[in-house]
Amino acid sequence: MPEVRIFGIRHHGPGSARSLRAALDAFRPDCLLIEGPPDADALIPLVADPAMTPPVALLVYRADRPQTCAFFPFAAFSPEWVAMRHGLDHGATLRFIDLPHAIQLADGFETRGEAPESETAPAELDTPEPAEASEAPSVAVRRDPLGELAEVAGFPDGERWWDAFVESRTGEDGDVFAAIQEAMTALREGAETAPGQDADGDAFREEAREAHMRTCLRKAAREDFARIAVICGAWHAPALARHDAKGQVGLDAATLKGLPRTKVAAAWAPWSYERLATASGYRAGVLSPEWYDTLWNHEGRVAARWLARAAALLRAEDLDASPASVIEAARLAEALAGFRGRARPSLDDLHEAAQATLCFADPAPMALIRRKLVIGERLGATPPDSPGTPVEADFAATCKSLRLKPEAVAGELILDLRKENDLARSHFLNRLHLIGIPWGRRQQARGRGTFKEAWFLSWQPEWVVDLVAASADGGTVAEAAGSRVRRRAREATRVAELSGLIGTLLDADLAGATDDVIRALNDRAAVSADVFDLMEALPPLAELARYGSVRSSDTEPVLGVVRGLVPRAAAGLTAACQSLDDDAASAAKARIVGVHAAISLLEEPDLKAVWQEALHGLADQSHVHGRVVGRAVRLLFDDRALDAEQAGDRLRLALSRASGTVAAAAWIEGFLEESGTVLIHGGTLLAVLDEWLAGLDGTLFAELLPLLRRTFATISQGERRAIGEALNRHGTGVSDEEGSGRILDAERAARVLPILRLLLAPSGDETTEDTP
Amino acid sequence: MSQINGTKTTQLRRAAEDAFAEELESLRGVDDRPRPPNWLLSPQAVVTYLMGGRLGSGFEVTPKYIGDRRLMEVAVATLATDRALLLLGTPGTAKSWVSEHLAAAICGTSRLIVQGTAGTSEESIRYGWNYALLLAKGPSREAVVASPIVRAMEEGKIARVEELTRIPSETQDSFITILSEKTLPIPELNEEIAAARGFNLIATANNRDRGVNELSSALKRRFNTVVLPSPATIEAEIAIVETRVAALGRAFEIPAEPPGADQIRRVVTIFRELREGVTADGKSKVKQPSSTLSTAEAISVVGSGLALAAHFGNGHLSAHDLVSGISGAVIKDPVQDAIVWREYLETVVKERSEWKDFYRAARESA
Repeated sequence: MPEVRIFGIRHHGPGSARSLRAALDAFRPDCLLIEGPPDADALIPLVADPAMTPPVALLVYRADRPQTCAFFPFAAFSPEWVAMRHGLDHGATLRFIDLPHAIQLADGFETRGEAPESETAPAELDTPEPAEASEAPSVAVRRDPLGELAEVAGFPDGERWWDAFVESRTGEDGDVFAAIQEAMTALREGAETAPGQDADGDAFREEAREAHMRTCLRKAAREDFARIAVICGAWHAPALARHDAKGQVGLDAATLKGLPRTKVAAAWAPWSYERLATASGYRAGVLSPEWYDTLWNHEGRVAARWLARAAALLRAEDLDASPASVIEAARLAEALAGFRGRARPSLDDLHEAAQATLCFADPAPMALIRRKLVIGERLGATPPDSPGTPVEADFAATCKSLRLKPEAVAGELILDLRKENDLARSHFLNRLHLIGIPWGRRQQARGRGTFKEAWFLSWQPEWVVDLVAASADGGTVAEAAGSRVRRRAREATRVAELSGLIGTLLDADLAGATDDVIRALNDRAAVSADVFDLMEALPPLAELARYGSVRSSDTEPVLGVVRGLVPRAAAGLTAACQSLDDDAASAAKARIVGVHAAISLLEEPDLKAVWQEALHGLADQSHVHGRVVGRAVRLLFDDRALDAEQAGDRLRLALSRASGTVAAAAWIEGFLEESGTVLIHGGTLLAVLDEWLAGLDGTLFAELLPLLRRTFATISQGERRAIGEALNRHGTGVSDEEGSGRILDAERAARVLPILRLLLAPSGDETTEDTP
Repeated sequence: MSQINGTKTTQLRRAAEDAFAEELESLRGVDDRPRPPNWLLSPQAVVTYLMGGRLGSGFEVTPKYIGDRRLMEVAVATLATDRALLLLGTPGTAKSWVSEHLAAAICGTSRLIVQGTAGTSEESIRYGWNYALLLAKGPSREAVVASPIVRAMEEGKIARVEELTRIPSETQDSFITILSEKTLPIPELNEEIAAARGFNLIATANNRDRGVNELSSALKRRFNTVVLPSPATIEAEIAIVETRVAALGRAFEIPAEPPGADQIRRVVTIFRELREGVTADGKSKVKQPSSTLSTAEAISVVGSGLALAAHFGNGHLSAHDLVSGISGAVIKDPVQDAIVWREYLETVVKERSEWKDFYRAARESA
């Protein structure tokens, strides 16, 4: 029988990794069994490749459905990584022994227990620990039992606890792991007697995993090895220790019997510290990868290094951080640690010290550098010849076929959307945007109507990780982008958000997802009580319906949505405009103008009629904010749905004394702002206004003057001048039947004539001969 | 003995080291951890003294600072590493209180103090001259009048500077040599006063009107800074007011009954709501007055309410006794703050059914 030792580790714990390294050096196993996916056994030798730089992740995915996948991240300080390196360096046999993902990802495995977790499980990032949706206390213990022990002992940081209680107290190596196994046995007994809080599905998965690990261990024990080392999460250590218990073989066989299987593939993928820290569903509690990195690589001078980095980062942000202060911070951190009964400062001690000395107790500077200092920016790399993840492969293939090259050097790319290749490039760049990779930035768009599209390309190396992570959403860039958008559509709460999404989808040519988003939009619009939200959604949709076809996308469904939205907005318009204050009225006015422009763009008489009816209804309201009503009248007037006389009546009505001068001024603002042509050509309107203004008494005039000035300031200078001239010419009694003709300045008009001649170029004219 | 007792009872307010002599003595008795040179207690014991706790001997140490223990740990660790400590905070966040107790616990005296004012001169920080002696005998060490700082340097004790930012900038800078060289030259005698081990400095400054005399960065760099925040929760603030009012009541021998927790809660709630600009349930906004409304002011409102109740009321703290104090604390600007207070009464206080007595009392006094 070979000697078997079980090393219960803390996932991603540098202290654990260090103890493990020492223990393995002493034990010199010829076979290492590691808690990891056996589906990736063939990829283990790549760990020793010189081009392999952690942090990296193993991705295991279903061959038929790559978005059903699991990630296993490793950093240089992960004990599993250390074990793999040790095994490869010493020529030992290496095997992953966790329950294969061919089983875990198979259809029907989730439902073996009673409660399947349909939403969370497959799409999320996974680590060597099982997926847990809720954080019940017992779950937290299982996830990071050593961290929990540390917390109970009053340590803010599991690594320092490991230092103080595990590392420094062991006589000889190996004892550490025996002690941990003992502690875990006690913890597990506690957890098993406590009422089970997890779904049965999880309990079954857990049981199956441990059964499989035991089975693998027994199998290895029967082979010709002298010393077998098992590296698994501390929680599992006691369960694996009973591998040779009586009757266990039968129990395990029963557990593993008849489990479903599917075909899976695996790949190494670059990873980043940021994902190690923030990725959802991460279960080993790496709050600060950079801190662990420092503990692993620079133990002995952690405090000095950490504080010097903090100072350097502060300086990079143009904040003072003198070396003298760093020295003081280090002294304070040491003192704090000693004081709190620790041999070496923990992360908290260092941060408190840095804040008191480097930042003068101001928390803002530390918050500024937190991401770089605490999480770190390290990026992993995989050997170029290792099999890539599905999305990476798709990305590389698409780049090749579209002749795009990911380079950091920025470059401009002008696309002609009439060319097939350029159109595909545009779609591709837009899809990348949707999965969070802004490789190309749209340069100043010259309107959708043109066929040119300008992009500014600049590739960032860390986006490789985003590509890898996109595998959780689909097998290709397009699939991943589509499912990201579907998710966003599900989460969107506003109709306007959804209409924005449709725009990006058409740009990215994701027809499949477009249908889903349009359906979501229709559903949302049907139940939405927020008319302004609907109105905000309309302009981008109308623009798409009108011009989207340039990109050879099918816009008929969009038009359908617009046809559904306009009557809804029209029906709710008057009700939505009741009791608005000044700011709300200005927002409402902007939306009304937007919708009006959108409907004019579409040139659909039915829609136009519905909308004009709504505007008529609004124009007749007497208690709605003047700015909204004034603008409604103006829009109708511009559309010739009201003639000058009707508009004049409404103006007079609004300006009558009974309605109050402030309301009148608001009405004028709504009616006139941005363009004064109505006054120049609008028949009696100028006279009505002039009469009202002249009739105001001194104090009221002074009160209203700023508002009127503001209104007229939005009118272009030429128009203002024309209005002034019209008033000047006729004194106060302007009769505008002849007005428009009289304003003509014959001398200035004559100056235009040569240009007109040039443009129209009558045949035989000498100007044509000048042009080559 | 009677002599000592006599002096103690006539003294209006006793210094921390006298008032808490018994606690300090007991702590010293059980403290077996290493002490920095010239410290009377180990750093851990100092933190225990500040935060309170039960000693191994069963002796109960009362909490002096109610708040985050980590802040006190940083403060004490700073002093233990020979760095000067700067306590920052808005008025009434117990800066001077903490500084007094730190000095008392570490070196047994909190009386080596320089009060910072716009008129604080270099002499009161460094040294002055006894001019009679100076004229009679010429410059000599006898003719030097030592400042509290110099005495602290010579004896290896903790000196305190209150309101550092009120001191004019050029005077502030005299601290730079003291803090970095730990010596003070006397050029007239061609001598210098070297600080004994154990010397350190605790300064307090108000960061609300920081602009008064902003510290130069050279000086700032020589301090470790700890910001004392306003009490984090209403329960913490009530606890502070309760303990302090009880202590003050004893000191001033106010015969009234100790106030009920509900009255204290009410005062603290009003102060917090106006200070933070939002009601305790977080549901509606409240206009903020220009006054700071610190915990210290809440303590004094309850204290003066108690005195009113004892001498002019029925000995039982009622809403009437509190109203004048509260409105006095809130209304610092007679026009704007009065409007704020009025609005608060009408929109918040009036709505609370259990606050009817307070509302009526406030309306009557308004």
